[in-house]
Amino acid sequence: MKRILSIITILFLGFLASTTTYAQDRFPRPDFESGYQYPATHYAIPNETLWLFVDVFLLVLMMGIVAWAVIRKRTRKPVFWVSVISVAYFGFFRSGCVCSIGSVQNVALALADKSYTIPLAALLFFILPILFTFLFGRVFCAGVCPMGALQELVNVKNYRIPRSVSAVLGIFPWIYLFLAILYAITRTGFIICRFDPFIGIFRLSGDIGLLIFGALLLLVAVFTGRPFCRFMCPYGALLNLFSRVSIWRAKITPSCINCELCHKACPVDAIRAPYNNKVKESRVQGVKRVLLYTIFLPVMVTVAALMMRSMSDSISRANNDVRLYDMVQGEATPKDHPVPELESFYGAGGTVVELKERVDVILADFKLYATFAGGLIGLVIGLTLLGLSVKRSRKSYEMDDAQCVNCARCFSYCPQNKIIENKIQ
Amino acid sequence: MNTTEQSNPNPVTRRNFLRMSGSIVAGGAIASLSGVLMKNSLAGETDYFWQIDPTKCTYCGRCETNCVLSISAVKCVHTHKVCGYCDLCGGYYRTNVKDLNTAAENMRCPTGAIKRVYVEDPYFEYTIDESLCIGCGKCAKGCNSFGNGSLYMQVKQDLCKNCNECKISKVCPSNAIQRVPYAKAYILKD
Amino acid sequence: MRKAIFRNVAVVSAIFVASFAIMLITNYFQVRSFNPLQADVMETLKKINDENANNVALQEQIRQLDLMARRAYFVNLDHLKTGIYLLLAMLGVLIVCLRFYFAGEKDIPGKQIDVVDDWIIKTHARKYVGWFASALVAVALVFVFVTASHLRGTDAPNTPSTDIGQIAAVGDESTAQGESNVNQANQTRQGEENTVQGNSDDNATQSLTTIDNASDISSGFRGNNSNAISSAKNIPDVWDLKTGKNIAWKSAIPKHGFNSPVVSGNKVFLTGADESAREIYCYDLRTGKLLWTLAATNIPGSPQVMPKTTDDTGLASSTAATNGKQVCAIFATGDLLCADMDGKRLWAKNLGVPDNHYGYASSLLAFGNSLIVQYDNTNAHKVVALDMATGNEVWSKTRTDKITWSSPTLVFANNRAQLILMGNPAITAYNPANGEQYWRVDGLSGEVASSPCGAGGLVFGASEYAALIAVDATSGKKLWTANNYLPEISSPVATNENVYLGTTYGVLACYDAKTGALKHSHELETEFYSSPMIVEGRLYVFSNDGKMHIYTADSEFTLINSFETGAKTFATPAFIDGKIVVRSEEGLYCVATKK
Repeated sequence: MKRILSIITILFLGFLASTTTYAQDRFPRPDFESGYQYPATHYAIPNETLWLFVDVFLLVLMMGIVAWAVIRKRTRKPVFWVSVISVAYFGFFRSGCVCSIGSVQNVALALADKSYTIPLAALLFFILPILFTFLFGRVFCAGVCPMGALQELVNVKNYRIPRSVSAVLGIFPWIYLFLAILYAITRTGFIICRFDPFIGIFRLSGDIGLLIFGALLLLVAVFTGRPFCRFMCPYGALLNLFSRVSIWRAKITPSCINCELCHKACPVDAIRAPYNNKVKESRVQGVKRVLLYTIFLPVMVTVAALMMRSMSDSISRANNDVRLYDMVQGEATPKDHPVPELESFYGAGGTVVELKERVDVILADFKLYATFAGGLIGLVIGLTLLGLSVKRSRKSYEMDDAQCVNCARCFSYCPQNKIIENKIQ
Repeated sequence: MNTTEQSNPNPVTRRNFLRMSGSIVAGGAIASLSGVLMKNSLAGETDYFWQIDPTKCTYCGRCETNCVLSISAVKCVHTHKVCGYCDLCGGYYRTNVKDLNTAAENMRCPTGAIKRVYVEDPYFEYTIDESLCIGCGKCAKGCNSFGNGSLYMQVKQDLCKNCNECKISKVCPSNAIQRVPYAKAYILKD
Repeated sequence: MRKAIFRNVAVVSAIFVASFAIMLITNYFQVRSFNPLQADVMETLKKINDENANNVALQEQIRQLDLMARRAYFVNLDHLKTGIYLLLAMLGVLIVCLRFYFAGEKDIPGKQIDVVDDWIIKTHARKYVGWFASALVAVALVFVFVTASHLRGTDAPNTPSTDIGQIAAVGDESTAQGESNVNQANQTRQGEENTVQGNSDDNATQSLTTIDNASDISSGFRGNNSNAISSAKNIPDVWDLKTGKNIAWKSAIPKHGFNSPVVSGNKVFLTGADESAREIYCYDLRTGKLLWTLAATNIPGSPQVMPKTTDDTGLASSTAATNGKQVCAIFATGDLLCADMDGKRLWAKNLGVPDNHYGYASSLLAFGNSLIVQYDNTNAHKVVALDMATGNEVWSKTRTDKITWSSPTLVFANNRAQLILMGNPAITAYNPANGEQYWRVDGLSGEVASSPCGAGGLVFGASEYAALIAVDATSGKKLWTANNYLPEISSPVATNENVYLGTTYGVLACYDAKTGALKHSHELETEFYSSPMIVEGRLYVFSNDGKMHIYTADSEFTLINSFETGAKTFATPAFIDGKIVVRSEEGLYCVATKK
């Protein structure tokens, strides 16, 4: 009986499949006689509003603690514990999404594309650390950011990188930032999220290449302070800007005795030793150099913009639609196995003409925004050069506010700070 | 520079002035940026979760291997109301199956995640054991080609890490994975 | 002492972490490269099992393998998880130990890395930034150069490689054989074309004109306009597959089909299909090399299970059509697929799965940039014109005729191009530019499979057991009917004076075009499925057994030559200057006079 039934079913199937490919109801829904009830299904949805609240609350609270510890108390302990909590909560427990670094892309996309609505979480994670940086310096970087905190926690020795080299490496975050924005606003992808080196470690899974890269980066972080924050982090580049003009900020102990301990303790090389300019160079020469670089600046911007513009076609290949178009174009060669992209494209009734129109728009976007990105990269390099050609003397130790991440290490090294701490207690 | 600072003992040096005007610019930038973004964020309905549109899904099997998790957060779900409760189930059995038994050579699912229970003649109930499902989509493909399409792929929101950009969405050949608002965390057939 | 302990613990944990990490990574790569659940072995075994019923040993083997695969997968996953936790824990131990070990020492590097002078540092830094900027520019230049050449590579095949020599040769060709009927017919028609008025779409008429005059293109079933008259020159009149005489090349065809080859430039197109795939093939006219294959896949509405067709129809009976820029093909599934000359798919759609008890068989017709599809099936009766480049509908007309297997033809009469469609029960003429109906004449019945033809302002159509009908294409009036010999599958061809046809029971007949009187008939002990073609004043026709018969296309209808070609042939050959492209049951071959 069953056999016959199944054969009939097969025949029936074959018949139906030939006529109604897209119909859902090939078989009637059965009328059960045994009183069978459909099983209740429940698909869990996490309470995102609650988590958003907790996340933002903790973010603000921890940034507040760091600001209080660094500016009022001048002590490192709370910062350390904030780091531990941040790695545990934002890192391992919340798996690192959404993070402030990635939210740059959401913001860029929201500004460029009106049809995109930015999630509140991404917005708050973007704007709150910037606000706190503007008020108190880079308190977010100190230990609230799980990536910075992780590097801070694994750091054991602090071998320093020559400042001339770190000045060059400091350009990378900007390039990364501009590229990330370029890819974000063309809806190509969020490269910051895709190439996040630490997220795999927080999740204990992920792309093996990135996991290895993250592990290597952490290994570097054991011996030198925060390589990711200083030489890669695109959000750090933004905070670097706001930190320069922050209203309140950590300062060198007022009763500084020029002992140099803090300078050597700083993991991000943000403390500048006193310096009296003794270079025998005529003033005219210095002014000439500055003038030269100033004139050179627009040239650099133009050259970089044109470079990126000519590259826009190539870099647009990361876009899914552009790739699809390439695949459609390359269809002449017989292929052994079907390409799912093409199957889906044709399966959905897509035509090459429509795709071409779409791709043309994307390519035009790429051309425009790549030009901007190139110009900005040129600008950053030019400004770096300008900054490096200004002479300035310092009478005492000074903080480089742009670089300082408020890790508060210097406080525990400062002999004078100990005295102040004792006084406060 | 030296000369300027020396000749001007006043605290409002050029540097301080620059810094102050910088602060004002930065403060203004933050205020206006947050204003604009807030308006944007609160105006529209925020798409929050990643979800698969079952009408677009082609069951290519990339969900299984491209999720950032070691076992994909994409699982097969079953809408019983759509199911035909067939004996010869295209999601349960391989095509051209000879005997309708649970032998390995007849099974579609590589991990045996589909449970089959006899209901009444001639109906069988199929349920997915989520702990075994690896999200390969084979059963969904079978069900959608030969049956009612009651088996299909969905992102399980309790497993999904809700990445800022879903890695599977970037390799999905049919752009079936998209952001959905809170209210539509699952796109279920009925 | 404590320091020593920390140091030792750190060293041990470091060794552990390093070796364990290597183990985990190798393990990971092993799993990645061999996913036990997706192993090919399993799939192959299962397939073998599908083919061999009740092979108990094989089934047992599959079951064992399946169990092993599942176990391997889940155990591996489990190991990976515990491995990672272990690794992390040990890493934690290592870092804590290191911290404690170095806790006594303040972070004071032994020697000063940076030179003391701030300005020298800045000078160095400027130099490095300069280097870095130039390196960036260099990298960008290399990148642009590399990718730009790659881009050009993909763009290049867009320009079709047409044989200029051949086109030039066409231009040089003198019209020395002016006395033959066919050329007169051609000239008359050309004259008519020159006076074509704004009645039909100008563009389309123009491209039609160019196609009609071209002798290096055979755009559809039975040549340009599907009218069975070719303006090709220097056509070989004898060949033999067995001895290779006058055979330029032979090629195998991957999948079977009864459709005929079409030619544009140096490319020959035909289609083939079976249960597994439906494909367009493109061959090189000069070498016979298969240039590309394009399968009709992923078409919305395309049936999963092939519609039933009979063995003498199959899934690929319809001949493709080309306008020199695009080539389109249709299959018995209703899948219509268009590609450019390089095999790049342009668009595809399913016109609705045909309900057709033999299998859909009407061929496509290229009219300028429009593709005309006669779609008379049991479940749908229509004729549609689609843009060949985009697939957009230009026009569509619902028809009242019953299921038909014949193909559309273009005829020039009354100073305009007329699209002639056979049907049951009528022959209908349409404006090919907008689908407007010009005239309609009843008189056909039964299963209409042969296609119409036209010459000298007249249109002829026939179906077996009904009649051969002649219609004045200007007035749309029926002139005469005849029923001495009627074709079933093979289609008639006409000159200004005569109508010729071949029947399934082996008779070649010649009727007077003006009166319908039977002038000549040759009874051959064979069958005619392939349609006769008129080239250079001669009538070429294949009989099913592969014999080629060449007659004078005049009122005498005398045999010029008749010879075995060596392969059964059902399709109609394509004629271009100096060449004949034939699809036989054995494959595709090209006939050309060897110099």
